[in-house]
Amino acid sequence: MTTEQKQPQHKEATIPVAGMTCAACVRKVEKALKGIPGVEDCTVNLSAGKAGVVYDPEVCELPAMADRIREIGYEVPNARLEMLVLGMTPGHCEHVIGPAVRGLPGVRDIQFNFATDTVTVEFIDSMISPAEIKKTVRSLGYEVHDKGEGEAGSDRERELRQQEIRRQQLNMLFAWPVGALVMLFTFSMYDPLDSFMPDFLGDKYLLFAMTTPLVFGPGRQFFVHSWNGLRRGVTDMNLLYATGIGAAYGIAVINTFFPDAGFGGERAVFYEAAALLVAFIVLGRYLEALTRGRTSEAIRKLMKLQPRMATVLRGGTETEIPADEVEIGDTVIVRPGDAIPVDGVVTDGYSAVDEAMITGESIPVEKREGDEVIAGTINKTGAFRFEARRVGAETALAQIVKFVEDAQTTRAPIQALADRVAGNFILAVHALALVVFLFWFFVGFGAFFDEGTRLMLTPYELSELEVFGFALLVSVTVLVISCPCAVGLATPAAMMAGTGKGAEFGILFKGADAVEATSRINTVVLDKTGTLTKGEPSVTDVVPAPGLGQGWGPDLPAEVLSLAATAEVNSEHPLGEAIVRGARERGLEVRAPDSFDSVPGHGVEAVLREPQDERKGEPQDERVQVLLGNRKLMSERGVEIAPLLTDAERLEDEGKTVMFVARDGELAGIVAVADTLKETSERAVRELKGMGLEVVMMTGDNARTASAIAGQLGVDRVLSEVLPQDKAAEVQRLQAEGRTVAMVGDGVNDAPALATANAGMAIGSGTDVAKETGTVILIRDDILDVVAAVQVARQTMRLVRQNLFWAFGYNAATIPLAAGILYPFISQIVSPELAALLMASSSFSVTMNTLRMRGYTPPIRRGPPSAPVTITETPQRRVSTPEATS
Amino acid sequence: MKITQENVGWISAVVYTSVSVLAALVFLAVTLIGDYGWVARIGGSLWVFGLTMIILMPTVMPFLRDRAGMASGGMSQGGHH
Repeated sequence: MTTEQKQPQHKEATIPVAGMTCAACVRKVEKALKGIPGVEDCTVNLSAGKAGVVYDPEVCELPAMADRIREIGYEVPNARLEMLVLGMTPGHCEHVIGPAVRGLPGVRDIQFNFATDTVTVEFIDSMISPAEIKKTVRSLGYEVHDKGEGEAGSDRERELRQQEIRRQQLNMLFAWPVGALVMLFTFSMYDPLDSFMPDFLGDKYLLFAMTTPLVFGPGRQFFVHSWNGLRRGVTDMNLLYATGIGAAYGIAVINTFFPDAGFGGERAVFYEAAALLVAFIVLGRYLEALTRGRTSEAIRKLMKLQPRMATVLRGGTETEIPADEVEIGDTVIVRPGDAIPVDGVVTDGYSAVDEAMITGESIPVEKREGDEVIAGTINKTGAFRFEARRVGAETALAQIVKFVEDAQTTRAPIQALADRVAGNFILAVHALALVVFLFWFFVGFGAFFDEGTRLMLTPYELSELEVFGFALLVSVTVLVISCPCAVGLATPAAMMAGTGKGAEFGILFKGADAVEATSRINTVVLDKTGTLTKGEPSVTDVVPAPGLGQGWGPDLPAEVLSLAATAEVNSEHPLGEAIVRGARERGLEVRAPDSFDSVPGHGVEAVLREPQDERKGEPQDERVQVLLGNRKLMSERGVEIAPLLTDAERLEDEGKTVMFVARDGELAGIVAVADTLKETSERAVRELKGMGLEVVMMTGDNARTASAIAGQLGVDRVLSEVLPQDKAAEVQRLQAEGRTVAMVGDGVNDAPALATANAGMAIGSGTDVAKETGTVILIRDDILDVVAAVQVARQTMRLVRQNLFWAFGYNAATIPLAAGILYPFISQIVSPELAALLMASSSFSVTMNTLRMRGYTPPIRRGPPSAPVTITETPQRRVSTPEATS
Repeated sequence: MKITQENVGWISAVVYTSVSVLAALVFLAVTLIGDYGWVARIGGSLWVFGLTMIILMPTVMPFLRDRAGMASGGMSQGGHH
């Protein structure tokens, strides 16, 4: 079977993985999963605690993968569903329900409690939903109810994270006081502590008794994990910890019980080094667990929006049911303050709904009959009913959660590089430790050892150290100080924070690579129609002919527009519709003409009855002929258009379509129609340029119209007369010029161009995000979100780089110090506990730096919504409509 | 001996243990030439053995596993052709 034939059979799945602590764990899990026949690809995300797999379901199954993950020492957390199953009888029903449920993919265990009619199912959340399990039991003829205390997968994951945080907290509670006491007691014989502390506190046997439970209590995890890894041929950070702690403790124990062995003598019992090493590493672990717990907060926030219960109308009565049991077509009742349980369309009632949590729109949106409502949004004022259209995993909220979750499982190119470096770093560090040991053993000790040797920042004198003890101490310090434990956290933590922050503002990044690509762009291509403009023409200018007076009212532009709209009222031409809409929007009367003729390619001709005008005292039934069209129509009907020709040319130069209006063969004025710019387009272009990006407008319009619009917006470059099918090629051409291109357009029509661009931004997707192409989905139809997306992406990557600096910086800078490069000059070596302090500083810095993203708001979304759009002063006779931007 | 997915584990163990023991013995031999105490000689040999094992275990096993994988992959590809 060829790969091509196999490809369509491949499935994608996400498996939750708990217990990973570093980049090496990521590699370990990836390696294990990729080793399973049938697994085509695997990407593990440390911060998200998830493994994304692409696999052939005919060759391998998800439970086997979960088992493999458990085999190598990690957890695959099970979700638990508790349901009330009515009508069960012991024995029989167990044999009916049990096999059916156990046969479902992802179900790991099922337990029956016949006393309480409860069935508890343990399952892997990403493989099957609670609704599917309930449906299976129902299909067997049982009545199933939600017990309301079932734990969703995310809750279970959160519980596991909390468990890990609590575990490390307990370790800290033990390690820190004991570590501090061991240090204090160790130094009790030195000035000034010796003046008031009794001698027995510094007794080496007491220190041994205090340190041993510390090393084999909180420190045990490092030995166990590193051994598990080594057995399978994988190294991780735990190995560095274990060798560091083990060697420091081992030297101390030897010096306690065999002081003449040449490891520094009985005064060099480094129990405080082993104890503080454990304390600092546990602190690092605690901080990492805390960061991992917090960075997925965005997803939990989104999931919390999903209401558990819904009120539906069934059989004419209101019934409260679990939200995941609402079916398509159900009528759902929403009262003030209620959260909307599923997506649907309002059928009755009126209210305002707060959609900020989904779309980022801060102002509540009015909802009336026919309007869509989104699950998870909050009803503010009125009550209404709606028909359920999308339920369960199909709702916008579920799609967005999945979108963000999937994005957080992916790995940015920069992270892949960091992980590779970190993975090889551990081996390199052990190799370096060996080299350093051999150097100090065979060369350095003999050449440079000084009787007054001291450990940095300690009062120890290591005069009794012999060659092996000295070389071993330096070698161990290199191991401890080199540990890049924060590297595994640096990129994913920042990415999770960044993608979560984006989701808060209605910006969905499809993956970490999308964030990185968006941050790197230097050119933004904006599709004109629908992106920069509203996508539908509207009236921009009305210019009455000079000399109108007799037979006309005081508001000439309004009368000319009204006349044109009356002529076009039966027209189905987009320009005619725009004129009618424009007149109605201005509150002008639009009557039906007595007769209407379309003159194809030229315009329209209509006959209408003049309204009674008492001022003019004219008869009520006077008929007038109205012509509306281009120059050719006017010329053919002998209408003199010269008085307005200059205005017409000026408006055409601005990219507008001009139509002449004539009444009874006499020129009445001109009406200009154009696809108007969105209110925020000009500001968005200005902001993008201000960020150093080249802004390119792409349009199918002719060069003259395109240039006119480009001029109004201030874009750098225009690609005009581009056919829809050529858009992707234009993007490729820009890329060939060496540009990194973001294409902004409609997710459906511009799909090929979006896919070609380095970052494809689908704008105004609404909430059906699953259908969208592009790597960045902008839920709202607001081009300022393009600016916000770039700002969020840049901020995230800034955070990534800073985190990587903090993660690697300390280690890289201090390795030479630990290796004893300064020893020949200062006769001091770095103590293992100082090395541990430096190592813990990395984790601390990364954690603190990542938390900064929580308070971040893209600059474009700070303060007042937008700068006022400048409207150029127009000649007196001309009417600038609210939409007009020129 | 032919390396397969089944025997790659113990072949790896033999390889990295042998090389590590060899490294430790070389270290011991060199210390015998110089003026070192027995604690330094034995302790140093153990440390060299330990570090060499740590370096070789994750290096040798994937290397041999890849070779075993390539061998079996190559055969099955050949079968398809």
